[in-house]
Amino acid sequence: MTARLSRSRDRAGFGTRVLLAAGAAGALLVCGTTMVTLSAVPAPAALTAQAEPRVMAGRDLYLTGCSSCHGPDGRGTERGPTLAGVGAASADFFLTTGRMPLDEPRDQAQRKQPAYSRPEIDQLVAYVASLGPGPEIPHVDPKSGDLPEGFELYANNCASCHSSAGAGGALGHALIAPSLGKATPTQVAEALRIGPGSMPVFGPDVLDEHQVASVVRYVDYLQDPADPGGLSLGRLGPIPEGFVAWVVGLGLMLVFIRWIGTTE
Amino acid sequence: MTDNAPPDHAPGGSTHDADVVDPAEVVATAERRIAISFVVATVAALGLAGVYVAGGQAQAEGALLFVSLGGVGVGLVLWGGHLLGEEEVTDQRKDLEATEEEQEAIGEALHTDQPEGRRKFLGRLLGAAAAALGLAALFPVRSLGPSPGNRLRRTAWTPGARLIDQDGRLVRVDTVSRDGIVTVFPEGRTEAADSQAVLVRVDAEAMRHRPGRETWAPEGNVAYSKICPHVGCPVGLYQAPTHELVCPCHQSTFDVLDGARPLFGPATRSLPQLPLAVDPEGFLVAQADFDEPVGPGFWTRDR
Amino acid sequence: MIRSTIAWIDDRLGGSSFTRTALKKVFPDHWSFMIGEVALYCLMILIITGVYLTFFFVPASDEIVYRGDYAPLHGVKMSAAYASTLDISFGVRAGLVMRQMHHWAALVFIAALVIHMCRVFFTGAFRRPREINWIVGVTLLLLSIANGFFGYSLLDDLLSGTGVRVGYSIALSVPVAGTWLAFLFFGGEFPAVEFITRFFVLHVLILPAMIVGLLTAHLAILWRQKHTQFRGPGRAEDNIVGSRLWPTYALKSVGLFFLVAAVLAGLGGLAQINPIWLYGPYDPAQAAAATAGSQPDWYVGWLDGALRLLPGWEIRAFGYTIANPFFPGGLLPGLTFMGMYLWPFIERRFTKDYASHNLLDRPRDAPARTALGAAMLAFYGVLFFAGGNDILSNIFRVAPEKITTLFRVVLFLGPAAVFFITRSACRGLARSGAHPTEGPVGSRIRRTPSGGYEDVGEDH
Repeated sequence: MTARLSRSRDRAGFGTRVLLAAGAAGALLVCGTTMVTLSAVPAPAALTAQAEPRVMAGRDLYLTGCSSCHGPDGRGTERGPTLAGVGAASADFFLTTGRMPLDEPRDQAQRKQPAYSRPEIDQLVAYVASLGPGPEIPHVDPKSGDLPEGFELYANNCASCHSSAGAGGALGHALIAPSLGKATPTQVAEALRIGPGSMPVFGPDVLDEHQVASVVRYVDYLQDPADPGGLSLGRLGPIPEGFVAWVVGLGLMLVFIRWIGTTE
Repeated sequence: MTDNAPPDHAPGGSTHDADVVDPAEVVATAERRIAISFVVATVAALGLAGVYVAGGQAQAEGALLFVSLGGVGVGLVLWGGHLLGEEEVTDQRKDLEATEEEQEAIGEALHTDQPEGRRKFLGRLLGAAAAALGLAALFPVRSLGPSPGNRLRRTAWTPGARLIDQDGRLVRVDTVSRDGIVTVFPEGRTEAADSQAVLVRVDAEAMRHRPGRETWAPEGNVAYSKICPHVGCPVGLYQAPTHELVCPCHQSTFDVLDGARPLFGPATRSLPQLPLAVDPEGFLVAQADFDEPVGPGFWTRDR
Repeated sequence: MIRSTIAWIDDRLGGSSFTRTALKKVFPDHWSFMIGEVALYCLMILIITGVYLTFFFVPASDEIVYRGDYAPLHGVKMSAAYASTLDISFGVRAGLVMRQMHHWAALVFIAALVIHMCRVFFTGAFRRPREINWIVGVTLLLLSIANGFFGYSLLDDLLSGTGVRVGYSIALSVPVAGTWLAFLFFGGEFPAVEFITRFFVLHVLILPAMIVGLLTAHLAILWRQKHTQFRGPGRAEDNIVGSRLWPTYALKSVGLFFLVAAVLAGLGGLAQINPIWLYGPYDPAQAAAATAGSQPDWYVGWLDGALRLLPGWEIRAFGYTIANPFFPGGLLPGLTFMGMYLWPFIERRFTKDYASHNLLDRPRDAPARTALGAAMLAFYGVLFFAGGNDILSNIFRVAPEKITTLFRVVLFLGPAAVFFITRSACRGLARSGAHPTEGPVGSRIRRTPSGGYEDVGEDH
């Protein structure tokens, strides 16, 4: 009897334990969400009903920086396409990669330092989203993706343009599929959904959410892959390898035999 | 007559002329260098053994092997070059051409005492036997592979075969969004390499159908063989704005809106088009197999 | 110790006089004569590392599910061959260094072969009596290129698999017998998975045996005929000046072997080559993919460049097709090697020089030959760079179409320009000529008893 009493005093009751567990889970959830939002990549702000002032601020920025090509009402001109229906994902992609604003519409847009700050981008995104319904900014957690699945999807869908190592490649007409070295997870997901530039669109029926997360995780891996063999030589394949074989390999051999043999 | 001053004598007593190097010094320096090389090589080799035992690391292994092997090499070269008293020697070459006497001697050695006619005839029979045997010896080569037959003209696509993607999911008429591309196979046959096709979604109004192909692309879903007619690489690059399929190997470019006609590059023919239809449940199906052989050209392709 | 060993062997084989002559054999010391040795030692490294790899490589096309050390490919279906290569790279201690050494050695080996062939060509060493050795040498080059191709295709990765597909299509395009050639060699319609086992037999057994056999003949002929030498003081057609095999030449040569091994080992550990884990396995049905920037190893690169440069031309007549890939993939290499084989015989038709030569030309002494050789190098060099047109397009942001067109023009103008420039450079050099190895140019004269002078002969 004494033993039973001491047991019940030393251990908390069942209900208490459930409450503690729920509290811990809730705390973890809060911590996790906070960590995601505080992570190095500035997460895009959610578009909620309180966004009206943001839309107006975005419109002001738009009129200054974008309307000369995309038109005063966002419906496009001969210099730039309509933005109605491109969605928040498009705007966010082009602005965070610095591809827009674009100086010369005929050139292929390239990754640059973004011209706007994060709050300004949020405002512009809000304005563009208000022009018409379109793809929302995807929320993707790379860790939820599966690395081998990401490899297979990447090899089947992406490697023929962006190369197996993510180093980029040539398309026709002086266009290139860019290197993926600086792409953030959100930007990768956005690009898949909107098909920027020459890129095809990979809609939700072709790549579902989990598959997108896997691709994102694999692209993330490619930004710093295992290079157990030594210097990566740019991961461009046999051509730089051939150069090294001739210049370093054969070159050193020729140096040695010049040293060993006579020269007359 | 000018008095040619004798060369300066350095206090040590040895002849010191800027152009003459003391041979003993050379040898001593060489010995020192050789010794250092071999010692460095030994240390590196021991280090290599240590790295290996500790679990191995490619860069360390490579670097240590380089030093170790290089040390031995340098030492040996220096030894051969400086310690052996380098001297140039001259040797005579023998004339390799056979003299008349030698040629006659060989002729005599080859000669056999045989009557002309019958032996010549027997010789010819031997030749025939050898040729026939040689020919027969080629027959096992036939076992190396099947006859081409019709294999190059047929793929696994059959009338009514439903389209699936690489994960085995059925493709509906609206699965692929505009400007999207997906690789498809006949249902159940994702291992059929010759059947691989790309399904592209374009604006139905913009399609310029070849005669007889008006029904082949329902609602802008158009499918072509993915195997490049040049040397067979999979044509996986799709440039949406210009509606061009580009082959990553040698940059052959095909116009999706015009029956995948080759616009640029070494490809000489269009990609064969797969005739599509929509079944009652809304899935995309093939009307029939491709109407021409897929892939690279061959001698009897047009027959 | 060496002495007693040799004596022991000699005692049993009775080769004393041979051994004596062998040890005293003279070899000229010019540095350019060692290029062939560099190639020989690269081959030795290839064989040593190759034998090691053969213990671990699985030459089978059976599909397995990967469960090894490289995490991103866990659960991916691949051939046993590819999986075993991953195991060599990630699972076997020092396996990656061995594999990379083997691959670097192959690249440097063929580079050395090409430079060696150039040395022989530009100095006219292929002339009588060395035509046989030239033919043996060209065959060695051909076999080595083929063996390299089979070797890197064994791994069954995405990049080399694309190359096998190209090879299959070239075989297919051969007129008349193409389909049979492809089906018999590869074992069926593409992707005939038999090819892994067949390439393995070719790469490990048949071709190395042929290479070693021909190489032995090559060295034996060289030994018998004695090496050529450059002109110089004391050198003539009927003598040979240099150092003795033993001890000088042998020591330096063995030293060179270690230096060659050292460079290849350094590359093998410090410079990554062919990271097949990034390409993934070649599965033409499942993957149905190729990577942007697909190029073969450099010594096949000229063929790939030719495939890219030839416009979409095809011959179709009477229901028969000679498909496009036949011209750059079959005809071009056929003509190339035929030209190389026949060169000694072609050249002497033009020079009318049927004499025996043991003394070498300086390249400038034969302007036409040197210019032609330089032009040919330029031609194949342009083809090589054309093989990387998409990479050049990426770097310079010029359309691949423009780069291809540019290369097509340069392919013909370039070698022509090189020919004329080289020829006049040779002539200029020969004329102006500081010719450091030629002694006084003039005649040997002798005083006759009657007091006059007579010309006895030219002295170089």
